[in-house]
Amino acid sequence: MKALARLDLTDAATFPSRRVEEWKYSDLKRFLREAPELSGTAVVGAPGPFYDLGGDAIVFANGRPVGVKDYIASGDQTLRLRFISDATGTGHTASARIVARPGARLLLLETHEGKGSAYVAHNKVEIDVASDAEVTRIVLTDEPDDAISVAEAEVKLEAGGRYRQIIVATGAKLQRLETRLRHEAEGADARVDGIYLLGGSRHADLTSVIDHVGPNGTTSQLIKGVVRDEARGVFQGKILVQKGADDTDARMGHHGLITSERGEIDVKPELIIYADEVQCAHGATVGTLDESALFYMQQRGISADEARALLTQAFLIEVVDRIEHEGAREVVREWLTARL
Amino acid sequence: MAIVQETIDTVAELERYKYGFTTDVEQEFAPKGLNPDIIRFISDKKGEPEWMLEWRLAAYERWLAMEEPTWSAVKYEPVDYQDLYYYAAPVKKEGPKSLDEVDPELLAVYAKLGIPLKEQEVLAGVQGAPKVAVDAVFDSVSVVTTFKEELAKHGVIFMPISEALREYPDLVRQYLGTVVPVSDNYFAALNSAVFSDGSFVYIPPGVRCPMELSTYFRINASQTGQFERTLIIADKGSYVSYLEGCTAPMRDENQLHAAVVEIIALDDAEVKYSTVQNWYPGDAEGKGGIYNFVTKRADCRGDRSKVSWTQVETGSAVTWKYPSCILKGEESSGEFYSIAITNGHQQADTGTKMLHLGKNSRSRIIAKTVSAGKSDSTYRGLVSIHPKATGVRNFTQCDSLLIGKECGAHTIPYIEVRNGSAQLEHEATTTRLSEAQLFYAQQRGLSEEEAVALLVNGFVRDVLQELPMEFAVEAQKLVAISLEGSVG
Repeated sequence: MKALARLDLTDAATFPSRRVEEWKYSDLKRFLREAPELSGTAVVGAPGPFYDLGGDAIVFANGRPVGVKDYIASGDQTLRLRFISDATGTGHTASARIVARPGARLLLLETHEGKGSAYVAHNKVEIDVASDAEVTRIVLTDEPDDAISVAEAEVKLEAGGRYRQIIVATGAKLQRLETRLRHEAEGADARVDGIYLLGGSRHADLTSVIDHVGPNGTTSQLIKGVVRDEARGVFQGKILVQKGADDTDARMGHHGLITSERGEIDVKPELIIYADEVQCAHGATVGTLDESALFYMQQRGISADEARALLTQAFLIEVVDRIEHEGAREVVREWLTARL
Repeated sequence: MAIVQETIDTVAELERYKYGFTTDVEQEFAPKGLNPDIIRFISDKKGEPEWMLEWRLAAYERWLAMEEPTWSAVKYEPVDYQDLYYYAAPVKKEGPKSLDEVDPELLAVYAKLGIPLKEQEVLAGVQGAPKVAVDAVFDSVSVVTTFKEELAKHGVIFMPISEALREYPDLVRQYLGTVVPVSDNYFAALNSAVFSDGSFVYIPPGVRCPMELSTYFRINASQTGQFERTLIIADKGSYVSYLEGCTAPMRDENQLHAAVVEIIALDDAEVKYSTVQNWYPGDAEGKGGIYNFVTKRADCRGDRSKVSWTQVETGSAVTWKYPSCILKGEESSGEFYSIAITNGHQQADTGTKMLHLGKNSRSRIIAKTVSAGKSDSTYRGLVSIHPKATGVRNFTQCDSLLIGKECGAHTIPYIEVRNGSAQLEHEATTTRLSEAQLFYAQQRGLSEEEAVALLVNGFVRDVLQELPMEFAVEAQKLVAISLEGSVG
């Protein structure tokens, strides 16, 4: 197995192929053989889906920060983190760093907004959650179907830190949203949820590595996805419990629906456990919409398409309902419903 | 309470590894090392047809070009392939092979292991047990096969593969290497080049094999690799239940066991393959023990064919194997029931692959993993649904139990679905042995070790139930013995 090099858009040698275990289902090398040319500047257009929730904003246009790119939250704050791509056939990298100070509460609203075509975006964010701080990260993606997009988040949780995440992925030619989270100290609590909703020949990959180093940590993960047409959904979730991370409670669930003949879902939920006082579980299902429910709805005069959309919405909305912030939850619900 | 009593009795008679003796029989070795001459020597010893030698030499060429895989979770000292004996056999007397003429030393070995080689015997300790035909493989050769005549009356062929190569060359040639191709993987290529013995089974159409077939593998000679090759063909509408057992002496060195098992099930055929693997696991410090690198695969070629793998893995220093099913036939079905117990410094990376190619094929996976001491155990599995396989069902359950602070238990399932009509469910849990249950059992007068054995037996019960009766009794005892020294 080849070692995993840090992805660097300027160096084609770092582009992983499916021979790299962590990229088994997302063969970046296949779509990207050479380092792309650097993207030019872009104009920040429409205000983005979370505009109405206010707060501060960090904006990257084709990888270039428009203003600051680091943020330190204290008290109760809202931050919109916008990664805007507007390029054709070129590539760009952005990195942001966000710190929630002890006791802070941060609502982080992240969007990956794409225009143009066949661009390559590589967006990175580092998030430090100090002791007793809470960060809620909500990610929406809206990218062209010929774009390549890799987003990486590196999250550190200190003692008693709380982290809530939901990613709603709509895919691209190859889209990967990776979260690496470490429970550094005692009693941290993480929720790492996700949704993928894919049509056409789109590809979305939700990968997460949750590393329990400190004891008494909690991880809860719920991923739901729907794949239509010839799309491909990927979920790779790894939960590590290191020696000494006693009393860890980690639960992971993935449920996928394929509503077409040629859709594909690949799932790899891993538990790697080196401590014995733990409770860990994962469940994974893949299936299709319930035929009898579809039939029932059609019998009552609902068209097949509408019935399918309703059942899909009911299936996915469970994840959205886990968002605690009411305003954000409503935005995500509407945003998702519009794409069913 | 019978089970409780039995567990107590079992624990009471615990021994570290009671099969660890060596037998001093006169043995014949091929020179150490691996080269085309050794392969010619093995082939010549077995009186094989010319095509077989060529097949072996071609496999050797392939093997030379391959690299040893390193992707598993197991770590081990590299094997020096030139420092092994590839052929070791007890010196045979002249004359027709009948049970009476088998070296009494060898018969004593199997008697000590509790393997009935005399046809009038039944398995010890089981009243009214059905007959079991046994093929006994000692290092590189089969020393005796029982009930051959009675089986022949039903048209069942059960004999060492070396003998089958002489008597039924066409049948062997038709199927050998069709499920596990020569170049499938590093160890399969090595096995194809140097395999020495193993069992060959052919069940004719419509025949329900009148008794259980069983092969008992024994490694005896030191510095010897054992390369068994088993080929089972179940023709249309037939049924067979096949058992496999293995033990080895206690030695400081690591010995390699690289087997290949191929199963072919035609229309409406059913094969049940059960393994109780109890190779020497090494001592308390992790010294010695068997490297068990095995490729086992079943090809459910026929419609409505069924293959069921049941394994109890308690031995070996390192186990690395994935008994798999290729479900090609429509409505074919594959099952995998596994208990893997590691203690001391043992490592196991095991699981299954269910490849669904046929319409309405079904599979079921139940894997129970117990890690104790400083051991490390991984379940790794693949369920893959081909785009053309409509109406597939799969259910997978993997449970891991940790006993102690220094062991590891890992679950790495791969699920690849490329057809919208498939239904898959997978669930996995990892927990430690419940304090409350232990306390409860101890309150009622069981020692801590007895209580652990009882709870673990309960944990693995779903799989034990899948074993043929005579194996289940054995396996239950083995579970307790394997965990000795894991608490307190």
